Amino acid sequence: MATTSDLSRVTSIVLRFMRTPVLVLITVYAIAILGMVAMPGQDAEGNPMHMSFFHAFYFLTYTATTTGFGELPHTFTNAQRMWAIVCLYSSVVAWIYAIGSIIRVIQNPYFQEAVAGRSFSRGVKRISEPFFIICGFGDTGSLLTRGLNDSGYTAVVIDNDGERIKALALRDYRKTTPGLRADASVPKHLIDAGVKQPNCQAVVALTNDEDINVKIAVMARLLNPSVRVICLASTHRRGEYLEALGRVEIIDPFDAFARWLGTALYAPLLHTLKHWLIGAYSFTLDKPWRPPMGTWILCGYGRMGQSLRNVLLARGVRTMVIDPDMEGAEDIPEEDKVWGYANANTLRKAKVLEAAGVVAATDSDPDNLGILISARSLNPNVCTIVRQSHHENELAFRAADADLIMQPSLITARDILFALISPLIQTLLDHLREHHETVLDNVTHRIETTLGGQPPHLWTVKICDANAPAVTVLRKQRCTVTIGDIMRDPMHRERSLACVPLVLARRQANVVMPDPSQALRARDEVLFCGTRYAERQVGATLKNEYTLQYLVSGMQESRGYIMKWFARRITPRTTTLDG
Amino acid sequence: MNVEKVVFGFFIILALTLNFGFVVGEIENPDHHDIYEFYAVILVNLLAMGLKLGDRSQIGALLLATSLVANLQLISAAFVWTMAVHVTETGLTPGVMASIVSLAAGALLANIVSVVMLVADSLMSGR
Repeated sequence: MATTSDLSRVTSIVLRFMRTPVLVLITVYAIAILGMVAMPGQDAEGNPMHMSFFHAFYFLTYTATTTGFGELPHTFTNAQRMWAIVCLYSSVVAWIYAIGSIIRVIQNPYFQEAVAGRSFSRGVKRISEPFFIICGFGDTGSLLTRGLNDSGYTAVVIDNDGERIKALALRDYRKTTPGLRADASVPKHLIDAGVKQPNCQAVVALTNDEDINVKIAVMARLLNPSVRVICLASTHRRGEYLEALGRVEIIDPFDAFARWLGTALYAPLLHTLKHWLIGAYSFTLDKPWRPPMGTWILCGYGRMGQSLRNVLLARGVRTMVIDPDMEGAEDIPEEDKVWGYANANTLRKAKVLEAAGVVAATDSDPDNLGILISARSLNPNVCTIVRQSHHENELAFRAADADLIMQPSLITARDILFALISPLIQTLLDHLREHHETVLDNVTHRIETTLGGQPPHLWTVKICDANAPAVTVLRKQRCTVTIGDIMRDPMHRERSLACVPLVLARRQANVVMPDPSQALRARDEVLFCGTRYAERQVGATLKNEYTLQYLVSGMQESRGYIMKWFARRITPRTTTLDG
Repeated sequence: MNVEKVVFGFFIILALTLNFGFVVGEIENPDHHDIYEFYAVILVNLLAMGLKLGDRSQIGALLLATSLVANLQLISAAFVWTMAVHVTETGLTPGVMASIVSLAAGALLANIVSVVMLVADSLMSGR
């Protein structure tokens, strides 16, 4: 529907603009041809004759386009030459007019938009693999698109800002990423982006405007009731409304930020593991960061500051708040409040010399950097956590050398990426959070020794006919295939590939760190962490029944009908000899 | 050592070597291309194709495809030979011989691909 409407729009615009030029061309040609035929001419012997319509049209074709082959089929009479002059000037003018009209249409911004819309929806139609629709290509949107691309998924982007869409076209994405400059909350644009296509996995609303995000969520839910909808919105304002819609996942950026900070402060190993798993290479597993205990100073008490204070309060940590307006800070005791902008003076008032740490969480990046420098100069030992709002300031923040840089956009993008591509990782992290740290230590140690210093890579194996036909074949032969079997190295059967099964998902329950002897069943999903080489090998094993058979039994099965027939004839005899 | 692999490899490589032996020589000279050798080439190629039937793996399918190509080319060459000698009775003129040998040379290429894939598969599986 959407494509045809766009198609007909483009065609109709071209036709409407071309109507007059085409009519002019036809008229000029008609008069010129008729005149050329009517002009008295003569053949090679000098007999009087008239040009045929075919020759007249041929003559006009090469004169009107200013090619000019000369006087064909015979040398012209002067009467014909007179008319040829008329033909030449009128037809060249008509052609210039027609070409000018075409160029004017092409330069028309509305026409360009219609063409862009059409090529966008055609690009989306051509996507055959699962894809995600990302509405809003700001910091979070571009980070998420990059993340999806790096994990081998296709994304479709809609943004209101034409500059961002132009920038999208210049990125070096591995997958073609169609982009459209449009308002994503308009249903037509969501349909163009493929929300109704069966391979559309999720719609992610990430624009800066919460109202638009909610609108997108509503439209997407109505247009395709089975698609996943993820909406960036603050929970306390929109939560109930979106919950009423049903199955809309809400990501609250402030809440997500506060939770990450909480994890970083009180489950540092888990924080490090999480970072390491998603490939933030600066994190290594061997030196988890331990923040100091004591009073924390919170600079900036907006929505972010409130979420942070709640997290710290839940851990029984005292916080001093520095803010000029203290909006919503009625419940904070007076002695914990310092009124005013965070600077050397207010920091001193907040007793920075005795504080364990300073969190610079205002929404202005330069202010946060300033707070960082003031706090450091007053108390060089203080632990510093700084909020970075804009991705482009990254180099300045790195140079500032804070203990922890928290980018809300990056955190949100990573949370959404986790939710989209490996929902199972959340199961693992939740499990680890609930259990004692020794469990986490064991898991970390196991991953570390298996990978041997190589960067980790997460992937999910689905046991189904499409992804693992070999398992299906073997299970039909009443043969048990375990997780350990598919992890075996095809080169050395007794060795395992560099991967660790993190979660086994079944319909009934999820098993964290499943035992390798666990048998696989149809529709199981296994989340692995390992090297890319291991992923390729496991993938190849799951597709080749002979390899899998060998890995399970250690025996090479005969290939081909003739060899199998021989094998069947030979085996019984040997058994009788043995018996 | 796997007896099955020995037998399989033997026939596939023999198909290539015999084919090469038949093709080698002046392309138009019937004295350089022996009819019995040609017979052996077709026979061994057909046997190799038979051994490849029923392998459900990806590489098995490609190996079978190369055999099908080789046999198609060889049988066409045999057809040309029969037509020239028995039906049109033009005999093995240089033109006829050239067309027979060029068809067999095509089969040779298919057999080379087959052997390369066989070796590559063995090296990849590494056992």
